[in-house]
This record gives sequence, structure tokens and C-alpha cells, in this order.
Amino acid sequence: MEPDVSIETSCMIRIAVLPVGTVPASVLRDYFSMFLRHHTIPLAAISSFYTEHQKSPFAHQPWDAGSIRFKFLLGGAPPSPWEDFQSNRKILAVIGICHCPSTPDLDSAVEQFTAACKNYSSALVQRCFAFCPCDSQLEDGGKKEDVLRLFPPADHQTLDIHLQTMMQEIAASLLMDFEKWVLKAESAGTILKTPLDSQASLSSEEVLKAKKRRLGRAQKTIGDYCLLAGSPVDASAHYSTALELARLTGDFFWYAGALEGSVCALLMDRVGHVDVVLEDEVKYQYNNVILHYRKSFIQDNAQRVSPLSFELEATLKLARFLCRSKLSKDVVELLTNAADGGKSLIDVNDRLVLFVEIARLFGTLGYQRKAAFFSRQVAQLYLQQDNKFAATSAMQVLAMTTKAYRVQSKASVSDPPCTKKQTGPSHTDSGKMHHHLIVSLFESQWSTLQMVVLREILLSAVRAGDPLTAWSAAARLLRQYYPLITPAGQNGLASALNNSAERLPSGTRSADPALPFVRLHSFPLHPSQMDIIKRSPAREDWWAGSAPSGPFIYTPFSKGEPNDNSKQELVWIVGEPVQVLVELANPCAFDLRVDSMYLTVHSGSFDAFPISVDLPPNSSKVITLSGIPTSVGPITIPGCTVHCFGVITEHHFRDVDNLLLGAAQGLVLSDPFRSCGSAKLRNLSVPSISVVPPLPLLVSHVVGGDGAIILYEGEIRDIWISLANAGTVPVEQAHISLSGKNQDSIISIPYETLKSVLPLKPGAEVILPLTLKAWQLGPMDFEIGGGRAATSGSTGRQFKNASVPTLLIHYAGPSTDSEDATIAKVSNLPPGRRLVLPLHVCVLPGMSLVKARLLSMEIPAHIGDGHPKPVHEEEDPASETVEESDRKMEKRLVKIDPYRGSWGLRFLELELSNPTDVVFEIGVSVQLDGTDDNNLPIDQDGNSEYGYPKTRIDRDYSARVLIPLEHFKLPVLDDSFFMREFCNEGSTSSSRSPSFSEKNTKAELNASIKSLISRIKVRWQSGRNSSGELNIKDAVHTALQTSVMDVLLPDPLTFGFRLTRDNSSPQQESGSKDSVLANDMAPMEVLVRNNTKEMIKMSLGISCRDVAGENCIEGGKSTVLWAGVLNGITMEVPPLQESKHSFSLYFLVPGEYTLVAAAVIEDANDVLRARAKTDSPDEPIYCRGPPFHVRVLGTA
Amino acid sequence: MATTASFIIVSRNDIPIYEAEVGSATKREDAAQLHQFVLHAALDIVQDLAWTTSAMFLKNIDRFNDLVVSVYVTAGHTRLMLLHDSRNDDGIKSFFQEVHELYIKVNFLQLGCSVHVLVFHLSIVEKN
Repeated sequence: MEPDVSIETSCMIRIAVLPVGTVPASVLRDYFSMFLRHHTIPLAAISSFYTEHQKSPFAHQPWDAGSIRFKFLLGGAPPSPWEDFQSNRKILAVIGICHCPSTPDLDSAVEQFTAACKNYSSALVQRCFAFCPCDSQLEDGGKKEDVLRLFPPADHQTLDIHLQTMMQEIAASLLMDFEKWVLKAESAGTILKTPLDSQASLSSEEVLKAKKRRLGRAQKTIGDYCLLAGSPVDASAHYSTALELARLTGDFFWYAGALEGSVCALLMDRVGHVDVVLEDEVKYQYNNVILHYRKSFIQDNAQRVSPLSFELEATLKLARFLCRSKLSKDVVELLTNAADGGKSLIDVNDRLVLFVEIARLFGTLGYQRKAAFFSRQVAQLYLQQDNKFAATSAMQVLAMTTKAYRVQSKASVSDPPCTKKQTGPSHTDSGKMHHHLIVSLFESQWSTLQMVVLREILLSAVRAGDPLTAWSAAARLLRQYYPLITPAGQNGLASALNNSAERLPSGTRSADPALPFVRLHSFPLHPSQMDIIKRSPAREDWWAGSAPSGPFIYTPFSKGEPNDNSKQELVWIVGEPVQVLVELANPCAFDLRVDSMYLTVHSGSFDAFPISVDLPPNSSKVITLSGIPTSVGPITIPGCTVHCFGVITEHHFRDVDNLLLGAAQGLVLSDPFRSCGSAKLRNLSVPSISVVPPLPLLVSHVVGGDGAIILYEGEIRDIWISLANAGTVPVEQAHISLSGKNQDSIISIPYETLKSVLPLKPGAEVILPLTLKAWQLGPMDFEIGGGRAATSGSTGRQFKNASVPTLLIHYAGPSTDSEDATIAKVSNLPPGRRLVLPLHVCVLPGMSLVKARLLSMEIPAHIGDGHPKPVHEEEDPASETVEESDRKMEKRLVKIDPYRGSWGLRFLELELSNPTDVVFEIGVSVQLDGTDDNNLPIDQDGNSEYGYPKTRIDRDYSARVLIPLEHFKLPVLDDSFFMREFCNEGSTSSSRSPSFSEKNTKAELNASIKSLISRIKVRWQSGRNSSGELNIKDAVHTALQTSVMDVLLPDPLTFGFRLTRDNSSPQQESGSKDSVLANDMAPMEVLVRNNTKEMIKMSLGISCRDVAGENCIEGGKSTVLWAGVLNGITMEVPPLQESKHSFSLYFLVPGEYTLVAAAVIEDANDVLRARAKTDSPDEPIYCRGPPFHVRVLGTA
Repeated sequence: MATTASFIIVSRNDIPIYEAEVGSATKREDAAQLHQFVLHAALDIVQDLAWTTSAMFLKNIDRFNDLVVSVYVTAGHTRLMLLHDSRNDDGIKSFFQEVHELYIKVNFLQLGCSVHVLVFHLSIVEKN
């Protein structure tokens, strides 16, 4: 059988094209392709070379429209035993190709050619074409005109024309030879035999039969020559005679041959005008041909020779003819029959040719799967031959089937196979397009077929010695079908990969990735130290509104779609290393070593750092691939380059994504990552990455260590933060802001310090001082912290990072690179950065206030010489020296002045507990209004401050601190405080809204309480470094709320007693100056001070009681005598003045006595009534002074 | 029914969703592979043929050596394909109809579920 047969084959003249001498393969190919262009020579063109020697037997030769056709066989072909039967099988001309530059000796070339021609006995014309001869060769070659044709060096076109002329000459000589042959054959007749009838012993009957048949066969052969000569009408005439004769003699084989020839003649005659009628005719005739070939099958020589190949060839010819008009059903039928017939073919090569042709025809029909099926049959036939060339052929044929089986190498696919014919009629369903797309990507369910094909490719490639193809096939097999391959098989493939790689030069690349599977895991965000913030050029605070600010991921007010992931952008910076996390999976049963692996960036603007990885069997691993962007602009990372199993391959992330998508839809066998136990990854959208020019980079650390700063509640501490520019660009703008919880714990922020050091050059450093005040722990924090501290006993860790305040430093480099920046450039403003600096403050529960309450105390005063100084008398600084005043103040604040009435003295008691394991020292200080007294030490607030001695509280102890509130009393009881209340009470009929004034009053009250509270400060200190302030405000506020009036407002009248000694009388040594002797007259004075702004009239009374509380002035058992008035003393005290009343007492019995002054105020005004909280205006207002003690000493 | 047979259901996306080697002949691996190759190639024929006829059962549409392919094309263009070596057309047709019924039932119950596939498989093996 012959390859590439068609009906028209019968009219083609075969010309062997032989290389002569040394012809380089590429040159030979070039020359041969030149020949191929001249496969058809019009008869009209050869007339100049044609001379009619005698009358031409081709009477109806179409000189104007006809043509002669050539079929060039490079390298020639062995003579066929069927040459007599089909004249077109003869090689009728031989052309030698001689390349003169490589074959200098033309003589030997001619000899060689002549020798070669001897193998072609049927050749009528021999020519040797010598290309590119040199001058000497030209001269030399001119002598051998008969065989040698010289083609002087010329350009391609000229050469082509030259060649065309030569071919026309050949065609003319062939035509003349055909004429001769036909004339000879018609007259003499020739013996024409085929292998079918060349029996050794012919019976006489058969000889007779053969003679009869001879005439018919001669006519058939003449018809063949007519066809070759390009005269179909003549051919038709001879064929019809031949058919007649063959039928008569029962020569079915030749009948079929003649019929075949007549169909060819018909087609030649009607060239270019194929219609349905002609098609049907051809079909009918050829079916006849096939039938007759089958009829000619003779049983007795079937083992040796069979007309089957002619039958099959005829079938293929018809199929090829019908293929053109796409009568696919008929073609399929014919090809199926041919394939069936192939079983009976004796010669393996015939079967090979048959299957090749069937595959080609199916391919032409568009039946790719059928074509692939027969191609594989061809490959199997090749593989049965045990030689390297057959294996190479098998490999190449299999490579053609890979597309149909969807296992093609990536090297052969330029575009992803998006549009597939197979989707067919359902293609219109656009909603399913996506699904179809994926389906077309993975038709891996035909896994059995695919694995078989890949395995065969591997086998043939190994046999053919093509390591790269073998590697690629093994890689595809392993990567796509690992779940279907046993561990032993996987190991086998791994060793096949390694063996192939050993034969490859190092650094070989393959288009098909093997293992591992690589998918994009994530793009780690910039660490908060390196955040990049887009700058809005128009604004001073350029960072505002650019980054997602605030705690909400989604805000209904933000424009656009926040869920639009495609807009995700990533900014990389030239010269700063970046990282990309990828996940690798090795689902196979062997240890996988990835020799090197790095990110692939095609633009070349990225320096990737290769790493090597070891993956144990059935494992996955997330690794970090890093690199440095080197130039500004957008950058894409399609995948990574992997050097594994000795070959470099490129792994695209998209492929694995598709694979995983396919796995999710059940189209792919297995998800390699899941089978390795890796968690399902959310769909990661690859952000668009842009690279920007270098930016400044601030790095920070806390001076003295970056560890957590441990503070007790309320502790105040200074810290220093060092900022250094680690970038290559100076920082030109910087701004500090706060975020996070407990922002108010940062007391001072050094805005100015930072501003003053700008621009901060690369490498420069600045230290920012910061004052922190530890915040109060909430009840939650307390529980956690307390629990931990109790259980672990350690100082505790930071409770929650969330409660830590954060320092945000926005900074940026120079806004433009050059001065001549235009508006366009402004939009390209390089971004700024943000340094997020969480202050790692760990707040421990410190000193805590358990309770604050107000206490009243009665501490009786002693009557002495000195005039009891009312509190407010010190307002007159002239009365005493400054030193005395200081001393007294100090004294008074520290302890109670025993000579002053301290009845109803009020204290604020603070109960403090120390739950920690350190010692605290508590210092209470009280501020006084600096305006009152400018002699006092004045602090920065303009207020005087007094400190009480420190109180030490040991660990796990509680302590109480008393703060006297006496000096907070207002100096004057005036109506301003009550005015509104009176207005309210007095004029209920007035138009003013009572609620309004009530509110006002309350507000004023609250204000005064607040000012009172704010003047009390409780500071603590622990160890050398820790100090802070206790937050007591709320507790004090509640403690004072109810009785603030009593604290703040002075009594309308204050009373005091003193002894009025005669200074001249000798001082008594036995007692102190504040004691009185019994049985002696003790002159005394009672001092009444009016604290109001009104004159007060009163009726004063003095009583004296002994230790038992008995009145010892009146009654029967009175032990005290007196001089002067003690009861019903009517006094008038002018506003803010004191009045004295003198009297004398004579104590009969030594001991302790108590003197109390009391007064009934007459004609009390509203202020007094309000102060006394009287119910009715008629009620007398009674004022009582504090008790004074008098110690009476005995005379003995 | 048949001495050698291979049954396959191909979805309309040309993906095989079910495969079974049925029949009484001894099962060999390379034979099973060949069966699949033949069936895969026959899809080309079915693809053209299915649109030329209204019949669902397309008998003997393709053959290779002694193996004949018969196809039953459902309305949803799912193809039930049987590779067989005998010519019991009626038996094959009724087999296809029963399988089609089963297929519709199972389709309602999601073919993806392995239990149903098992039931389906057993039913098909039983039918042969």
C-alpha cells in the first residue's frame, strides 16, 4: 500500500529526486521545495520543447487547458511489482540534485548519478541538476550537455524560472516518450503481468486465457499513459475498450483497475466542476471498483499476494474524494470498512499505512477522537518494531493524539483551550459558559485513556532516546494522575524523571511542570511599622481619608463597593524586600526535593531570591518567597520557577487555581492540597501590584528596651521613643496622632520635638519624650489581671493589647523629585507611610481606694491665754509675721489647734488598700486658693499646696488617711449662696421657673464640690521610680454629696473662750498657762464672732459643766462661783467682727470643767434661717459653740 | 447477554460519569483500555449522528474489529454507550431503556452520592 493516495494519483508522473554527491540536508530540502512548486506543467507551456516526430496517439490532447502532473519522490523508491498494473507506479524520470559548492568534482557526480539511475529501469528521462556551480565548473559542465544541467548562481526567483523551464523540458521529453511507448505497445503488444498471475506453472488453458486478457490489459495500460500524458479523453476511450475486454475475459482485477482509471479520466476531464451528479457517479463507479477488487481475490494465492491492498486503497481514494464534500456518514462507513479490512493485511507496513491514512482522513473530517484512536493504533504498530526510529515515529504520532486526549504538553499550547468544538449545541447557553470553560480545561475523567497515552509517550520517548519528551510525559502523568498511581508507580515515575534529567544538559527547561503543586497563599501585608499611606496632595493632613480609618470594615457612608476585591492594590517599594507566601503540596509517596524555587516576574524588574525546599511524602508546606523590586511600575507575578527533578519548569498559579476549581466541581480527580491535609484556602484574588520609588522608612524603639512598660494604676512616667530613618530618602513631613483606647493616658506628646528635626536624613535619629499616666483598670481588667497575679504570682503580663494606646506617626519623603513638577506629576505623588507604634503598657492594679467617707469629730478645745484664732483671722497678714503664719498654717493643717473650737470638726477619711506586693507611700496634699494668701508656697497652677506627712502602706495592708476639711469653709456666711433659694421660696408667685433656679443652684453646688475635690490630691510613690496619683474624685464626690453644706458653710457665729490673765501677775509654774487654779478668781472672756454680713443681735448665755456633765453654776450643788453676767447677755455683733464679754469664774473644786457658750439670735434674717434649716419663721435660732475645756488645778 | 461488553455513560460535556465492564468474558486490563479508546473515539460519530435522527437508540454506529458500539442518546444529550460483540439489538435496546429509567431516577437523587451509584451499579450488573 502507498500512503497519500487519491483518485488523481493515477494521472501523476512519478519522478525520483536523488541527491548526488554531498548535499547538506537543509540545502536539499530547499531545492526539493523548489521542485514541489512545479508539480503541474500546463501543456500549453511545453509546446516549445515538443516536436511531433510522428502522429501522436493522443489525438484529443487538450493543448490549451490540459496539464501534466508530477509527483516528486525524494530519494526515490524501490520498484513496485505492480508497475505493469498501474503505470503511474513506475518511476518515469530521475532527477539528480548536485550542490556544486560541496561537490567540486562534477565528473564523479555525473558518474554517481548514472549509477543511481540504473536502479530505475523504467525511467525515461534522467537529468542531473547542478546548482551554484563556480566558473570552472560551468566551463567544465558545459561539455556534458546530455545529462547535466547547470544552474548558475542567481537569486531565488531567477533560479525558479530556470527550474520551471527545465521541468517543462522534462515534461515535453516525457510526453514524446509516452507517444513512442504507446505507439509501440499498440502495434507490438506487451506482456503485462501482476504478482497475482505470475504462477510458475501455467496450464495450457491459462496460457490461452492470458493471451486473451493481454489485449484488454494493453488497452488499460495505454489508458494509463494517456492519463499521464494529460489526455483524459483518449484515456477514457482506451479504458472503455479495456473494460469491455476485461469483462469478457473475467479479468476482474484489471477490470477494476481500468474502472479506476476511467474515473480518474472523468475527474480530470471535469476538473474544477465537481457537482452532485458527478459525485454520485464517482461513488457508484468506485464502489464497483471495490467490488471487483474483492471479486479478484483468489483463494489459492491469498497467503502470498492479495488484491486486498488495492481494495483498501480504492476505499481510501473514494473516502478522500468524498471527504471533500463532507459526506461524513459515507466516509465513516468507508473508513470503518477499511479498518476492518486492515486485519487481513499481510504486511505490517501496509497496515501501518492504512491506519495512518484512516487517521488522516478522520482528521480531515474533523473527527479528532477517531483520528487520535487510529494514530494510537499506528503508534502501537511502530512500537511493535523494535528500533529507535520506529520509536521516534511512535512518539511523534502519539504527540499528535495528545490534543484529542487532552494531555498535550504546554509547549504545544499557545492559548488556553477556551473555545472547544465539543461543547457543541449547548454552547449557546451562555449561563453555563463558565462551567464549560472549566470542563474543557479538565476532561480528565477519561483518565484511563490519558494515562495510557502518556505512558506510551513515555515508553516511546525512552526507547527513542528523547529525554526531554520522556521527562515531560512523566511529569504530566505524575502531576495529573498521582491519585490513580500506586506508590510504587509514583516512585517509578520519579526515577524516570531523574533518569531523563541525567541525560539532559543542566538548566534545561520544560514547559510541563512536574511536582510540587504551588499555589499562592497570601501576600503578607506590610508590617505596621511600614504601612504605606496614599497621599492626597491637596490636603495638609495628607493621610486623612486615604487609608481605611476607624474600626469598621464596612461603613454605609463610604462610596463604592467595599467588597470589590479586584480593586485590591498592593504597593511595593523599590529596594525594599517583599515577601509572597506560597503553599507547596507533594501528594506523592516519595520525598520531594525542590532544588531551587523563586518567583517568576517576566518584566525583569524584580530580583527574586531562590530557596530550596524538602517536602516529605503527602505533605504541604507554606513557604515564603522573597525578592526585591528593582524598578518602578506595575508588576505581575504569574507563578514561580521551580528547579525540581533536574529540570527547570514554570508553575503558574492560575493553573493550580483552575485545578482547585475543577476539584471543587468534581471534575478533577483530587485536590492535591486537601489530600495533603492542608486547609481549604479562601479564594485569593491576586492584587494588582505597583512598585513605587524609594520611600523613607522610620524604625522605632523605646529607649531602655522594647519590652512592656509595667505601670501601676495612676502611675506617671516619662518614656523616650527613638525614631530612626532607615530608608534612603529623607523624611520631610511627619505628624503624630493617637489612636486606640486609653488615649488620655498619654499626657504629653512632643509634637514640636518631631517638627524641629525635619527633614530627617537617612540614618538620622530623633528621641521623642513622652509622658504616660497609667489608666484605671476596669472591672474586667481587674478580674483578669487579679486572677493572673494571684495564680502566677508574677508581675503579670499585659492584659489586653487592645487597651493599649497607639501612637501613629504619618511621615513622607519629598513631595516631588524635581522642581519643574507639573500637575500631572502631582497625581503621581509618592505615597507616605505610617508608623504604628503601640505603647506596650501593662497596667497593674495598684493602690486602690476602698472607701471614702465623711467623719465628724468632737475634740474639745482648752481654754488658754491665747486668743483662740478663728480660721479667717489670718486673712490679715499684718497681724503676724510671715514665719509665724507659716508655722501656724503648717500646724493647723497637720493637727488640730486645741485652742480653737473644734466641735463638729469634719474629716474626709480615705480607706486605701494595697493589694500589690510592693510598698506604697501615700502623700496627701491640699491646694489652697493662691489668691487668698500669697505668702504660701505657690505651685505652677497658682495655688498653694500643703503636704501631709507620708503614710506608708505595706503590701496587702489597708490604711486610712484623714483629711480635715475645716479650712475649706467659706469665710463669710452670706446670702449669695442662698439667694436663689430665697427668691424661690419668697416669691413662689413670681414668673421664674422654679425648676430652672433649682437647677442653677444644684450646678453651683456641684461646681463648688468639684473645686473642693480637685484641691485634694492623693499621690503615691513606690520604690524609687514609680509614682502616681490616686484617682479619688468620684469616691470623694459621693462621700461629700450629702453634707457638703456643712462642710462648706461656716456657722453664723463662732464662739471662743480665753483667760484674761493679768500679765503682771507671776506665772504659775505648777500648771501650764492654759490651766486655772482652784479657789482663785479666773477672769475670762467669751469671744463671739459674726460670720455674716449683717449685724446680729443675740442673747448670749454661758454654761459650765463638770466632768459628770452636771451644771455647776446653777442649782444647789454648784461648785463654781462667778462674777459678771452669764445668762441673757444681750449682744450686738457687727458684721465680720468680734465682740467680747468678760466675766470671772471662781472654781471651788479642782478638776476638768467644760465651758459652752450658746446664743439665741434675735430678729434672725433669712440667711440665718436657711443656715439653721428652720421650718417656721417664728422658731428661735439657737447657736451653740464648741465646748472648751478648763483644767482647774488644786492649790495644794 | 453479551460475552464482552463495556458500558459507559457520557455526560453532555463529554465526560464519562459512569463506567462498567460487564459481560461474561474474562476481564483484562488492556482490553478494558481498548474498550475505552473505542468508546471515546465513537463519540465523534455519535456527535454527528445524533442530530440526523430522532431516534434515541442508535444501533451499531461504530465498530472496531469485532467490537460494536451502540448508543442511546437521552433528551439531555447524555449518551449511554455500550460496546459489545454480539448483535442482539432488541436485548440491547431494552437494556438501554431500563438503564435510562434508572438513570433518571438516580439523577433525581444526585448521582454524586456514592450510595446511589452503588445501587445503580448493582442494578446494571444485574441486568447483564
